[in-house]
Amino acid sequence: MEDLKIQGSHQNFFIPTVNFNAKTGICEISGESFLEDTVEFYRPLIEWLTEYTTELKRPIAFIIKLTYFNTSTSRCILDILNLLKEYEDEGGEVLVNWHYDENDADMEEDIEDYMIDTGLKINLIPF
Amino acid sequence: METPTKFNLFEYYKLFSQQDIQISYKGPIDERILSVIGNYIEVILGKNPKASKKIFSIFIELAQNVSFYSAEFNELTDGKEIGVGTLVVGEFGNYYTFVTGNVVRNEDIIPVIEKCEIINSLDRDQLREYKRNQRRLPPGVKGGGNIGLIQVALTSCNPLDFEVTPINENYSFFSIAAKVDKE
Repeated sequence: MEDLKIQGSHQNFFIPTVNFNAKTGICEISGESFLEDTVEFYRPLIEWLTEYTTELKRPIAFIIKLTYFNTSTSRCILDILNLLKEYEDEGGEVLVNWHYDENDADMEEDIEDYMIDTGLKINLIPF
Repeated sequence: METPTKFNLFEYYKLFSQQDIQISYKGPIDERILSVIGNYIEVILGKNPKASKKIFSIFIELAQNVSFYSAEFNELTDGKEIGVGTLVVGEFGNYYTFVTGNVVRNEDIIPVIEKCEIINSLDRDQLREYKRNQRRLPPGVKGGGNIGLIQVALTSCNPLDFEVTPINENYSFFSIAAKVDKE
């Protein structure tokens, strides 16, 4: 299984940097997410995670370092976290670390809401 | 060719100078405008990073709503239709405000008003729950929808300040302002 790599950019739209490693199971998404077609952008990420969790079935460490995302993105993040929760319920080993600016109370609330929503444990790591 | 009637820009300037308007724009709203104004918000409000981040996030959600839902369009040479609206960033004593205004079809305005009224009736915990419930539903036709206004209210930490001014039997002008306290 190939790694998934996307180089982020901050132009008219904001593309997050994606680094999903099939060998180590460390999957990181960082930067900012505001896209022209959000669902289209996140589809390959979901597909990659689906393949990893149904075929390789190895531990996964999901690292989020997004400093900004719009509400369309917030739906796609929910889809990813739901997928990880399902994998965990089926016996998969899942770790989720969310790095956020300690002054960003809105982000902290968002992460809490994702935990309530998905039932997944998310480690909050302020920086 | 006849000279068009002169538009009195000074009247417009005076109106906006009475209040501390940092940015005002009227015209088609697409990603290029979002990008330019978004950058300026970061520059102008940069001295207050917390408020700047909030205004930026509010700006993206509200401006996208205008570009998606405005009933007034400009057709560009490439055939693309872009929603037209007004965006204003103001600074007042102890708060910043971001305002959008656009023309809407009367039949489209009722659900928006209802949504704003629900949002304003909820406390913060209820609003978070409302957002979680709406986010679980399938997205609106434009891919976003549903939670944009809720997120604006959460980010703003203030009630949504909205107003509808009837234009004629088909159209109204809808404006919505979100305040961010300077603290």
